[in-house]
Amino acid sequence: MTRYIIRRLLQFIPVVIISTLVVYAMVFLMPGDPIRALGGDRPMSEAVQATLREQYNLDDPFLLQYGKYLWGVFTAGDFGTTFQGRPVLDIIEQRLPVTLQLAAVTFVIQGVLGVIAGLLAAIYKDRFIDRLVQVSTVVVVALPTIAIAFLLQLAFGLNLGWFPIAGAGDGLYSFILPGLSMAAVSTCMIARLLRSELLEALQSDYVRTATAKGLTRSRVIGRHGMRNSMIPVVTFMGADLATMMGGTIVVETIFNLPGIGEQVFRSIQGQEGTVVVGIVTLMVLFFVVINLIVDLLYGLLDPRIRYE
Amino acid sequence: MARTTTWRRAAVASMALGALTLSACGGGDGGDGEASGEGGTITAYNCEPQNPLVPANTTEVCGSWVLEHVFTGLVQADTETYEPIPGVAESWDTEDNVTWTFELGEGWTFHNGEEVTAQTFVDTFNWAVDPENAQQSANFFDNFLGYQEVVDGDADEMEGVRAVDDHTLEIELTEPFSPLPDMLTYSAFFPMPQEAFEDIEAFSSAPIGNGRYQMDGEWEHDVQIAVERYDDYAGEEPGLPQRLEWHIYSDIDTAYMDVQSGSLDILDSVPPNRLTTLEGDFGENWTSFDTGSFSYLGFPLYQEEFQDVDVRRALSMAIDREEIIDSIFNGAQTEATSIIPEFLPEGRDGVCESCEFNPDEAADLYEEAGGPSELTVYFNSGAGHEDWTEAVANQWRQNLGIEDVTFESMEFAQYLDLHDTEEVTGPFRLGWTISYPNAQYALEPIYTTDQSSNYTGFSDEEFDNLISEANAAVEPDEASELYQQAEDILLEEMPVIPMWFSTYHVAYSDNIVGDSIQMGEGNTLTHLWKIETSES
Repeated sequence: MTRYIIRRLLQFIPVVIISTLVVYAMVFLMPGDPIRALGGDRPMSEAVQATLREQYNLDDPFLLQYGKYLWGVFTAGDFGTTFQGRPVLDIIEQRLPVTLQLAAVTFVIQGVLGVIAGLLAAIYKDRFIDRLVQVSTVVVVALPTIAIAFLLQLAFGLNLGWFPIAGAGDGLYSFILPGLSMAAVSTCMIARLLRSELLEALQSDYVRTATAKGLTRSRVIGRHGMRNSMIPVVTFMGADLATMMGGTIVVETIFNLPGIGEQVFRSIQGQEGTVVVGIVTLMVLFFVVINLIVDLLYGLLDPRIRYE
Repeated sequence: MARTTTWRRAAVASMALGALTLSACGGGDGGDGEASGEGGTITAYNCEPQNPLVPANTTEVCGSWVLEHVFTGLVQADTETYEPIPGVAESWDTEDNVTWTFELGEGWTFHNGEEVTAQTFVDTFNWAVDPENAQQSANFFDNFLGYQEVVDGDADEMEGVRAVDDHTLEIELTEPFSPLPDMLTYSAFFPMPQEAFEDIEAFSSAPIGNGRYQMDGEWEHDVQIAVERYDDYAGEEPGLPQRLEWHIYSDIDTAYMDVQSGSLDILDSVPPNRLTTLEGDFGENWTSFDTGSFSYLGFPLYQEEFQDVDVRRALSMAIDREEIIDSIFNGAQTEATSIIPEFLPEGRDGVCESCEFNPDEAADLYEEAGGPSELTVYFNSGAGHEDWTEAVANQWRQNLGIEDVTFESMEFAQYLDLHDTEEVTGPFRLGWTISYPNAQYALEPIYTTDQSSNYTGFSDEEFDNLISEANAAVEPDEASELYQQAEDILLEEMPVIPMWFSTYHVAYSDNIVGDSIQMGEGNTLTHLWKIETSES
């Protein structure tokens, strides 16, 4: 087990190096001079442009630029600065908590609502509640996140005034509408996934055995049915959490939450290689860590799965 | 700021029905009467400033809006006439438009207590042009005597900026320049205290100015910037509200809803997609301003097919600007009938004859001149130019019988590269915003020979001469007239097709007294807003 974890952790190193190299190369290869574009319609003086280019090593060949960047990261923990002189670490430090809170709220909402809905639908198969879950999930899955976000904002923010429309100023409260918007589609996926898995499990031999032994229905479903059915659900939720960063771009923008997603979008537009690389590295790390945790969770859910 | 992305707009369209039925916010007609409260807090929309809050480094609206409240320059612009009025300088004088003497007023201090003297400006200006400091607006000083020497590293200080005594500042230029007082209203010329030079990083997130408002804490990136009234302000017209908070939004539509719900007081740039519902949502609580933000389609005059002026005029006359403004911008622009913004003292309405929609004459002219039957239109992507350039292209197809119009769009950085290497092969869109209220700035940088912002390659000796003469004219009236003559040449030669000037629509909450809202020189609202005192 420990050896497995160490081996997985070592794999992080090439993954991070390759992904940052690729991202850095992509930003580097974008045509046009980012410093020239900073001035807009009214160009900055040549002298100022030259100073800025030198400061950001933009006149160096690609590999040297990347080398200087990595050197700064490893020797001084310096993740570079934006063209405006703001340290990338500052930005991450300020924005990450926002995105993490959003992700956490989303994760909890979809976990709780999705599992409850899926469980109820399976238990009351073909009854009203099952039909309700089936129909409503299809409708919600079909709606784009942006439409859901906008509807929630309009209805519960503007008209009913129950939740703030924008910003992160009201603590956890501010994250409920954005979290709901982000969670909506996944909640439905989880509900449907769990429903079908659970129905399948309830038909299986070991559940029949458990029932035959005289266990109560809740114990049968809880201990035997759910335990196996949760493996695909956990896999899904893990993958979903890892890719959630992408969804934050839309939702953070609409609800004016200053998080990581919105920053990535903005920095790509401004060809700010160092900012994009810094954040993407973080996302890559996040992704691999989540994957590791998911893999470890399998073992807890199903002791037959072994690591070596 | 115009980053209204298409997906957002699509969503808005699809939700329009819902919005109509749900919008319940009434207009505040609770009589403003004598309620002209001072004090209180105003919250205003802002976008995240792109650059650190250093005067000479801030070139865009979001940062300028803050700086204009935190600093007062030598000269200010009158918000009604846009003429120069005293700031730190009580008066100024010149005999030849080359050497200028500014008499500074008494009692001006920075928010940290440091006195503002002539030497303050000398230090600030020299710091701003030092290439080591890489200030984006450094080249605004390029007509100051000694600028080039400092840029080349041959001198530490500009010869042309001198403190005669504590309260007398002398500025010497390389050539006559009548708009100097207007230019000095621009934020690049705001004074900075000694503390700034010692630790510019600390300064840039909490600038110490000499203006009506002082920073309350640091700039909280992407969240807010807060300022408090500075009670020792030495100038006239101190700020009215006790406190201003700029709440920073990444999406204007969200800010719009926040004003609707009452949690934000002022939004200065209502997005076009909201204009149709503005009156329904806000009743009386909105107003609009013309700005000096000019959009044009330029011609690459270095390409053969655009060298005939009749081709250029025909293309201009074939565009129905009004229709495009109505159908695509919901009226959020004002048709350009001139090149100098109309609200400036030199501005004239309706002087651009070839800007009038005249499809028949355009078609004849185009055919006679043998205009090209295929065109490529250039614009930068992701900034909301797709729809209107396509509409223009359609009108050209329809009115001029141009068979084929294609589009080239790319990111702004690449777009500028293409201009620098003169590889543009057809009409291109660009914009120009005046940084200070003078006709010179609407003309000289874009159309004089070999200027850095002259993307068309236009070069006309008579035009260049008129600009120089105007810059040298000692009488303001004489200068105005010469600038107008220069504008006439442009309207005759049409190196660019004037399209429109942006109109800002401002929505506000019941807290604000409507007629106290005023647009300042930098296309931003000024400090004079009044707060409605609660009647109940």
